[in-house]
Amino acid sequence: MKSIRLATAVVAAGLLAVCATAAAVGSTKKAVTISVASLIPGSTPAAIQQFNEQVAEFERAHPSIKVKPVEYQWTGPTFAAKLAAGTLPTVFEVPFTDARTLGDNGQLADLTAGAKALPYVSKYNKAVLAEGTDSKGRIVALPKGAYAQALHYNRKLFAQAGLNPNKPPRTWAQVEADALAITQKTGKPGYVEMAKDDNTAGWILTTLVYTLGGRMEQGIGTRAKATVDNKQTISALNLLHHMRWVDNSMGANFDYGWSDINQAFAAGNIGMYISGSDVYTNLVQASKIDPSIYGLAALPLAKNKKAGVLGGGTLVAVKPTVSAAEKAAALKWIDFFYEEPLISKAQAVRNAKTLVANKQPVGVPALPLFNKKQYDLANSWIKPYINVPIAQMKPFLTDIFAQPLIPEPEASTQSVYHALDAVVEAVLTNRNADIQGMLKQANSVAQQAISSGS
Amino acid sequence: MDAISDIEVKGAALPAPRHRVRRTPLSWARGGGLSALVFMAPMLIVFGAFSWYPIVRTVVMSLQHTNLVQAPTWVGLDNFSAVIHDPQTPIAVKNTAYFALLALVFGYPIPLAAAVLMSEVRRARGWFSALAYLPVVIPPVVAVLLWKVFYDGSSVGVFNTILGWVHLGPYPWLQSQQWAMPSLVLESTWANAGGTVIIYLAALTGVNAELYEAASVDGAGLWQKVWRVTLPQLRGVLLVTMILQIIGTAQVFLEPFLFTSGGPANATLTVMLQIYDYAFGNSLGGDYGRATALSLMLAGFLAVFSLVYLRATRSWSTE
Amino acid sequence: MSGERPAQLISPAEWRRPGVRFGVGGAQLLLLVALVVIGLGPLLWLAKSAITPTNDTITHPMALFPHGVAWGNLRDAWVNVDVGRYFWNTVVLALGSWAVQLLVAATGGYALSVLRPRYARLVTGLLLTTLFVPAVVLLVPLYIEIVRPPLIHHSFIDSYWAVWLPAGASAFNVILVKRFFDNLPREIFEAARIDGAGPFVLFTKIVLPLSKPVLGVVSVFAVLASWKDFLWPLLVLTNPNEQPISVRLPTIQSQTELGVFLAAMCIACLVPVAGFLVFQRFFLRGSGLGGAIKG
Repeated sequence: MKSIRLATAVVAAGLLAVCATAAAVGSTKKAVTISVASLIPGSTPAAIQQFNEQVAEFERAHPSIKVKPVEYQWTGPTFAAKLAAGTLPTVFEVPFTDARTLGDNGQLADLTAGAKALPYVSKYNKAVLAEGTDSKGRIVALPKGAYAQALHYNRKLFAQAGLNPNKPPRTWAQVEADALAITQKTGKPGYVEMAKDDNTAGWILTTLVYTLGGRMEQGIGTRAKATVDNKQTISALNLLHHMRWVDNSMGANFDYGWSDINQAFAAGNIGMYISGSDVYTNLVQASKIDPSIYGLAALPLAKNKKAGVLGGGTLVAVKPTVSAAEKAAALKWIDFFYEEPLISKAQAVRNAKTLVANKQPVGVPALPLFNKKQYDLANSWIKPYINVPIAQMKPFLTDIFAQPLIPEPEASTQSVYHALDAVVEAVLTNRNADIQGMLKQANSVAQQAISSGS
Repeated sequence: MDAISDIEVKGAALPAPRHRVRRTPLSWARGGGLSALVFMAPMLIVFGAFSWYPIVRTVVMSLQHTNLVQAPTWVGLDNFSAVIHDPQTPIAVKNTAYFALLALVFGYPIPLAAAVLMSEVRRARGWFSALAYLPVVIPPVVAVLLWKVFYDGSSVGVFNTILGWVHLGPYPWLQSQQWAMPSLVLESTWANAGGTVIIYLAALTGVNAELYEAASVDGAGLWQKVWRVTLPQLRGVLLVTMILQIIGTAQVFLEPFLFTSGGPANATLTVMLQIYDYAFGNSLGGDYGRATALSLMLAGFLAVFSLVYLRATRSWSTE
Repeated sequence: MSGERPAQLISPAEWRRPGVRFGVGGAQLLLLVALVVIGLGPLLWLAKSAITPTNDTITHPMALFPHGVAWGNLRDAWVNVDVGRYFWNTVVLALGSWAVQLLVAATGGYALSVLRPRYARLVTGLLLTTLFVPAVVLLVPLYIEIVRPPLIHHSFIDSYWAVWLPAGASAFNVILVKRFFDNLPREIFEAARIDGAGPFVLFTKIVLPLSKPVLGVVSVFAVLASWKDFLWPLLVLTNPNEQPISVRLPTIQSQTELGVFLAAMCIACLVPVAGFLVFQRFFLRGSGLGGAIKG
């Protein structure tokens, strides 16, 4: 009995092996399949629809490439997990802050050859392209979008508080005064700041400090010096302390993260807050904001030579473990989906039409990836399709190009932000927080992170 | 531990085969060795791969610097030193001890009192048990998120509204460094006390009724019966639940993670959260050496604590 | 559970005394009220708010439908938030973990208790030691093992096996089953052996049918533990479409209006609560069993 069973097993295994080989041999077609990052999970069906339409268009133009959309959202822990496991989509997005380190660690594909073959590669804004270049000079990621921090404000609450919605505050003193007015007349918090422990608190504090002329680091790489306990940081924290405890214009919740604060704003519960200039897309896609309440202004800058606006952005990269054919296909997708709409009128118009048809925002203010001329040109192409309240964003668009754009702290960015999270939270939740002491400690923690290259 | 000798006494093995044959592989297989191995296999494979191997790896990794790009390098006790010198570590230890202490104060005597009362209910005791246990079956994530809504700091938050009826508050709950940890303990107690109640109830049924009768005959009142009969009889269970609770709360993760992410200003940072931050908090890859070092330190502490505890209570639990 | 055994602390004679009757009875009544308010209250609020418009929940959380009922919340939760899918993921994860745990505990307990190979003592000792190792020790290396398995060059991230297989490594289950088998009368095995039953037949025809009670307890523990699991699925299931409801709920909170979110939470509670009400005996008896093990 046993021997018969054994024999059957061997034969079955043999048959399976033969079939598998046959299948493998039979599938030597020229089609290349790549997976690409699509939308953040939980996006509206309409948004998903428009993405799929763009995929279909690409596949029509490139019949030998099949594109598989994969929902994707960059969050620290899940990105690290996928990176370590190798389960990132072929084409994925990373923030400016991480690209260089990832490239140096060999975790992004080297795109230099393919990128240099693109006709517009020399037209990129040098600073933006540099964010995607590793320390050996290899291009490891191409720019997707750049943003500057901006002040988002609720026009309806402004009006209710007796303020002019077309004249948002231009100095920090005015921000304070307007916040107080909103709180007193409408009961809603006039100014809210991100204060969650996931590095967003430190990110916004750094933004504030930049507008006052301070810097969080000096130098680059592991030899950089942490300077988070500078004069301007103390001023910024004192400003927050005043608004929180004296004016009481910051509401009762101090653990907002990036998505929570968007949600609260869209629900009409916040007067003003700071975030990237491009969050309107998220406000529409995730929170269905009523467009009439939205106002966008540039951040107030102090009268300091070093005052500027924190800029950031997203890059798009390719997995390092791909074949040459996949890398070529990935570059074609990046070119089609991310870059072409900014350079080719036909593509820009097609893109805009698809977005509009699916009720997605077109015309959200972004920063130039190329030069200003190209930027204006691209905007003129999509002008007829703009469906965001662009007039309400005029204060931002008028002022932003005169403001110096400052990149985020270069060394161990996320760790530096993390060191500052606790300080911001302490100021907002403890009336007697020891600002100087906590900043000193945050500085030593930040310095440790910088020196160890994490 | 009594349990070990217990296991050895009961249940003898199946009788060995009569003939003492030479142990060749074939005779081993025929003598039941192969089938025993087949039955042991799932357990051995699963435990080997997912329990024993990782335990060994924790020790190894705590002495290495691991990033998943290059090969790991040996760094001796550097990880332990880094953890000890991290300014957040003493904060995490203090907070964890605070949580464990508060949880013990709230979550230990109250279920006992409730169980004693419940065990004397004449009718419909099932209702009591069901109501007490209901919060325990709610998925913990749902419980935390629900209480997070309750804890809204504005004057129209649920708890603040209720307290407002009696002219109290509004309180900041999770938005204050003083109130955050007690708020976490309150929810944790709500979600877990029911389990403890049921355990105590079950143990109370094991109390010998004759002891109560004897005490009554001796003229003991109700309080004295509880003090002299109930509690001593429950000693074993009480001691076990206490140590289990301490070990459990020392590893608390869900509440600080979902309620406050360790904030505000590290007021709810616990050791588990610190380990999570080391290993999974950095988008560029974690510091697994420090994470495993801290895990070992926590496990070591719990081991020592348990031994001390068992030794100290040995004289109390045996009769 | 109700009325299983007569009260013992308070004798019938004492109960007749008015002081005792009103004192203890009053305390019990208070306890009942407290249990209803504290135990049931939050859940009733959740159910009420699940069908209340978001605005009303925010501005008047304790009011009772000031502007009518919003059944749409439930529909939105099911359709837009897709609670059904995450719920299904939770079920699949629970079933797989349950199956693995049953397999490991039943076969392992049987081998250790009944078959008793020479190395059984060693293995039992190892299991007992494992029982006292806190879960935190396993977290990081297990994660690395899933991300980069040592021999197989394929990551198990985003695979349900990464959750099912490690769930089987529960020393508690194996010890529980082993003790149960230890308490079975040896004569049954002897008799079966004499009748010519080999180890497999002994397992399937004799031992398994007898072990329904302990396997029932293991099953309840297994399903409950899987339902409550948060950190591990959070780490190894990065694809949102595969995540169980406990992992998904926190992430979608900021994209979902409060009313719909509460409705999703309410739906997530339905099965555990319903399961509890139906299988009360198992839950309460099983949990009490843990306490009956004296130190």
